[in-house]
Amino acid sequence: MTSIMPRTPKRLDPIEGIAPFDEQLLAMVTALTSEIAMVRARLDTCERLLIDNGVIGAAAIEAYVPDASAQQQREQDRNRLLHKVFRPLHEAATAELTAAQGAV
Amino acid sequence: MNAFDEASPRLTHDLMAQPSHDELTEQLFVRDLKLYVMGQLEPRQKEIALAEAAALDRRTTNDAVGSVRRKMEGRASFGAWLAMKRESQRMLWSAVGDSVERQADRLAALADIPDPRGSVTIDPDFAVPDYIAMADVHLMPGGYGLDDGSLLQGAVMDRGGAVYMLGRNGGMLNDLRGQTALAHVLTRMPDIQPLHILDMGCGVGTSAVPAAMCFPDAEVTAIDVGASMLRYAHARAENLGARVHFSQQNAESTTFEPASFDIVYSCALLHETSPQAVQTILAESRRLLRSGGIAVHLEVPLLHSSEDLWSELSDELEAQYNNEPNWRGALSADYGSLMREAGFHDVVTGYQATAFNARGGPHHFGQFSEGVFRSWFVTSGRA
Repeated sequence: MTSIMPRTPKRLDPIEGIAPFDEQLLAMVTALTSEIAMVRARLDTCERLLIDNGVIGAAAIEAYVPDASAQQQREQDRNRLLHKVFRPLHEAATAELTAAQGAV
Repeated sequence: MNAFDEASPRLTHDLMAQPSHDELTEQLFVRDLKLYVMGQLEPRQKEIALAEAAALDRRTTNDAVGSVRRKMEGRASFGAWLAMKRESQRMLWSAVGDSVERQADRLAALADIPDPRGSVTIDPDFAVPDYIAMADVHLMPGGYGLDDGSLLQGAVMDRGGAVYMLGRNGGMLNDLRGQTALAHVLTRMPDIQPLHILDMGCGVGTSAVPAAMCFPDAEVTAIDVGASMLRYAHARAENLGARVHFSQQNAESTTFEPASFDIVYSCALLHETSPQAVQTILAESRRLLRSGGIAVHLEVPLLHSSEDLWSELSDELEAQYNNEPNWRGALSADYGSLMREAGFHDVVTGYQATAFNARGGPHHFGQFSEGVFRSWFVTSGRA
């Protein structure tokens, strides 16, 4: 994922009483929860609009098969999700890499 | 939460980054997450802290806050609460950053103003002060000083600030501090007719625009250290129909002539500087003031207004983990003495009632805080 704005703030003091990996896990669970909230809201919007306009019933959603373009879009969406949820792991590994390279 | 009505995501001005359907849900999630952490997790920590404080042997410690903090740090729920609080703040900037980046082209086009009322002046040789460069205030990645040649950091700060304040600070205009500082001027000098006004540490111009609106005949200048913020502030002010001249300057040492302004003010600037910078900024505000003028420095409530040990401890944690460089220094300062040392006379310190509109008031100033967001600490002095 390309990014033109920075995402990691300068100076993050260690928090006493929580291990770094536990902090990373909390961040991941929080990000996942955010994604679920977003997905549910979008689904809710779609289903209400469709039903309000008499376009589909619930069976149409169950019967749907995505075409190639839809599949590609979904792949992009999944990748965005992975970057968002697992950012802390990538960030921690990057910091350790920098430290390791500095130690050489 | 009217400022964040889900039914009307488009609010106030065109420069405000407009969220898509999903981005709005994401930002609302961050707001609700912050409320959850604040309303559900934090009160438990407060109760634990007060229980620890009650059990403390006061004869063996002269640092109750530090002793309680060390006991809290041995508990898993304390670390989890702080980690969640910090992550909610990081998620705020991340969500807003994604949304701003998506509309980078639209925002750049809006900033291209053919016949502006005001101006923006960027100093290519500007050096951001150390206290801003060493840590990103409020965890905003890149910090106030970021300059990538665009106005995006300003867009992030404006939108992020509106979400962060949860609609408590003038909604999407985020202008209650500016309105309140100017209401203080009008409380002390109801008939003032300023010609030149300076806003120090203007950020994205939320407190400078009210000055242009309140005193339409005055020339309003606003300074800050961040080039991206200033470009955005200029475009934002133009979009709101306010004539403001933005300039990249350090409030400790500006390029303006002595006695150039009738009103010099700052809003929540001092706690984001350093103890030394507070003194130099007050002195600079005095140098720039013409005889008979007024300087006003507005801040969040002072620490000695806190009622209990928990307020002090949670403020200390906020300062450390949300990167507030001069929280303790600025909020425990004796502003009456500092203002007099800076050469002001008729110095007052106290609390100005929050004004939604500087002219409309309320024009009430007293010795005691009316509560966070209902009043702001203010010190002012005459030249």
